[in-house]
Amino acid sequence: MSNLAVDVLAGAVGGGTAIMYAGLGETISERAGVINLGTEGSMLGGALAAYAATATSGSPWVGALAGIGAGAALAAVHAVLVIARKANQFASGLTVMFFALGLTSLFGASYVGRTIHSLNPWKVPGLAAIPWLGPILFDHDPLTYLSYFVAPAVWWVLYRSRVGLLVRTAGEHSEVLLVHGYSTSLVRYVSVIAGGGLCGLGGAQLSIAYSNAWFENMTVGRGFIAVALVIFATWNPLRVMAGSYLFGAALALSPALQARGYGINQFALDAIPFVVTILVLAILGKRTLLAAPDELRRVFETRTT
Amino acid sequence: MTDTTIPAQFSPDNAGTPAPAAVTTTPAATAAPASESRLADVGRGVARWAAALAGAIAIFTLLLLVKGANPADVYSHVWTSTFTNSPSIQQIFVKAAPLLLGALAVVVPARAGLVNVGGEGQIVIGAVAAGGIGISLGDKLGGGLVMILMAVAAMLAGAAWAGLAAVLRLTVGINEAVSTLLMNYIALDVLLYLIYSPWKDPHGTGQPTTAELADTAKLPYLGTTSIHIGFVFALVATAVVWALLRYTTWGFRLRVIGGNPEAARRAGLPVAMLLLSAMLVGGALAGLGGMVHYAGVEYKLRTGITTNFGYIAFLASWLARHNPVSVVLAALALAAITVAGDSLQLDSGLPAATVNILMGLVLIAVLGWTARKKGGAAR
Repeated sequence: MSNLAVDVLAGAVGGGTAIMYAGLGETISERAGVINLGTEGSMLGGALAAYAATATSGSPWVGALAGIGAGAALAAVHAVLVIARKANQFASGLTVMFFALGLTSLFGASYVGRTIHSLNPWKVPGLAAIPWLGPILFDHDPLTYLSYFVAPAVWWVLYRSRVGLLVRTAGEHSEVLLVHGYSTSLVRYVSVIAGGGLCGLGGAQLSIAYSNAWFENMTVGRGFIAVALVIFATWNPLRVMAGSYLFGAALALSPALQARGYGINQFALDAIPFVVTILVLAILGKRTLLAAPDELRRVFETRTT
Repeated sequence: MTDTTIPAQFSPDNAGTPAPAAVTTTPAATAAPASESRLADVGRGVARWAAALAGAIAIFTLLLLVKGANPADVYSHVWTSTFTNSPSIQQIFVKAAPLLLGALAVVVPARAGLVNVGGEGQIVIGAVAAGGIGISLGDKLGGGLVMILMAVAAMLAGAAWAGLAAVLRLTVGINEAVSTLLMNYIALDVLLYLIYSPWKDPHGTGQPTTAELADTAKLPYLGTTSIHIGFVFALVATAVVWALLRYTTWGFRLRVIGGNPEAARRAGLPVAMLLLSAMLVGGALAGLGGMVHYAGVEYKLRTGITTNFGYIAFLASWLARHNPVSVVLAALALAAITVAGDSLQLDSGLPAATVNILMGLVLIAVLGWTARKKGGAAR
C-alpha cells in the first residue's frame, strides 16, 4: 500500500502546478499594479487552445505555446480595458472571465471526448527512485518540471533584473517611471499580458498534462484560487510556489482518503484552502496589506467609478 | 442634516459616480443649467450605448461565422424561441428575480464605495438557509409561515456572509473584494457538503439533491403564468433600495462615504457602522435572491443551483452603473441573454454557454466605451 502522505504530496505538486502558473502570472500583473480576475478566463482559454493545438498538430509542445498565446490574448483584453479605457479592474476581469467561458464553450464543444497525444508523466532517471522525494517531485509531466524553474525565474526577474524593477515601480510609484521617461502604460501592458501567458500555460498543464481532457469550464475556480493565492503569498513568487502546493494538497487530500475507504465528505476539505487564506490574511492583517504594491492598494481603495 | 436637498442624480451617466460631498449640498444653484446639459448628455449616452452594443453584436456575428454557424439562422432561431413565445418570456422574468436581487447586493455597498464580489456566495448561502427551513419545517407549518421563515433565514444568512467580509475589512483590513470572492467558494462547499451527506434525499437517484420542498411552501405563481412571486419581491426590493438611497439620511451618508471617506470621517459620520450596514443590507438582498430561486424555481438544493448568478448580477450592477432603477433593465437584459442561451442549445446545437460571449462583449463595450472619462481618477 502506498503511503498516504506521499500520495497527497505528489497530488499537491501535480495538481498545484496549474494554480502555480496562474498565481505567478497574477503576481507579475499585480506587481505592476493591475489585479486581473480574468485569470480564470486566461486559464480556460489556455486549456482549450493547448488541447486543440495538440489535437491538430500532434505535438503537445505546440499546444503549450498555443495555451500561452491564448492566455496572453485574453489578458490583453483586460489590459486594454483597464489601462487604455480605465475601466474598473474587478468588473473588467470578471467580464473577461465570462467572455472566455463563452468562447471556450463554443469552440471547445468539438474537442470534448477527443483523445490527444498528451504530455505523460516521465520519471526522472535516478531521482525518481529516491524514497519519498522521488514520487513526490520526480514522477510528473514535463510542464510540472518546467514550473520548478519558472517560479524562481519569475522571482529573479522581478527582484534582480532591470525589467523587474520597472514592473515593480509601475506597481509602487508609477510617477517615478514617468520622471525617468518610461511609459507606465507600456510596462503594465507587458506585465498583464505576460501574466496572462503564464495563466494560459497553467491552463495548458491542466488540459494536456494533468487531466488529458478538455471539458467546459474545466478550471472550476482555479483561476480565482490563484488570485487568492497571490495575496496569501504576499506578492512573492516563491511563496506563491509554496502556497500552490498547499492548495494542491488540500485538493488532493480527499481523493487520497476516499481511495483508502475513509468516508470523508470532500467538500469540507475543499473549503480548507479558502478558510486558511482568510485566516492567514486576518492574522497577518494590515501587514499583508502593507506588503501590497502601492498602486494596487489604490485600486482596492479607489471607489466604484 | 442636508439630506432633503440631494439632487436627482440617477440619470445613467452620473449615477454610481458619487459626487463630492460638497457639491451635493448645493443643488439649487446648478439645477437649471443642469437640465439642458443633461439632455445633451443623455443623447450622447444613447449614441455611445448604441455604438457599443452594435460593436458587440458585430464581433459575436464574426465569431459565429468562424465557428461555421449561419448567424442569420442563429439570430432568427434565438429571436423566435426566446421572445415570441410566452413560456420563454416568462422564463426571462423568472431568471431576472435572483439576478435583480443579486445586483442590488452590489448596488448598495457600491454606494458607500465597497466592492461586493460575493453575490454568488450570498445567494448560495441564502438558498442553503432557506433549504434548511424548507427541509425541516416545510410540511409541518403552514405554507405562508414557512415562506416567511425561509425568507428571513435566507436574508440573515446572506447578511451574515456579507457582514463577515465587512467585519474583516473594518477590524483587520482585508479588502472586501478579496474576502467576498473567497467566501463564494466556502458557501459553495457548504452547499455541496450538505447535499452530499446530511441533507441528501435518501430516495433520490442520480446527482445528489435535497428532498423536494413541500408544495405548500413553494412560492406561488402570478396568475396563470410561470413567473413566481419572487419577481415581485425583487421589484419591491428595488423600490425600497431606491427610496432608501435617495430619501434617507442613511442613503445620503453612504454616498458621502463613497465620495470621500476621509471627509465623512472628519464630519463625524460613523463610517464603520455605515459600511457594515451597507454590506449587511446587500448580503440580505442577495440571500433573498437565493431563497426566491430555491423556493420559486428549483425546490431542491443541487449542485450548480446558481449557475454563476452572483457574478452575472455583479456585472448587471456595473451595466447599470449601480443605479437602482436601471439595474432592473440590466437584470432583465442579462436574464434574456441567459434564456437565449438555452434556445441556442436547443435550436442551433451550439453550447448554451456560448451566450457568455455575447454577455462578455456587451460588458466589454459598456465598461470600456460608454463611461465618461474623468482623467486619472478612474481606475
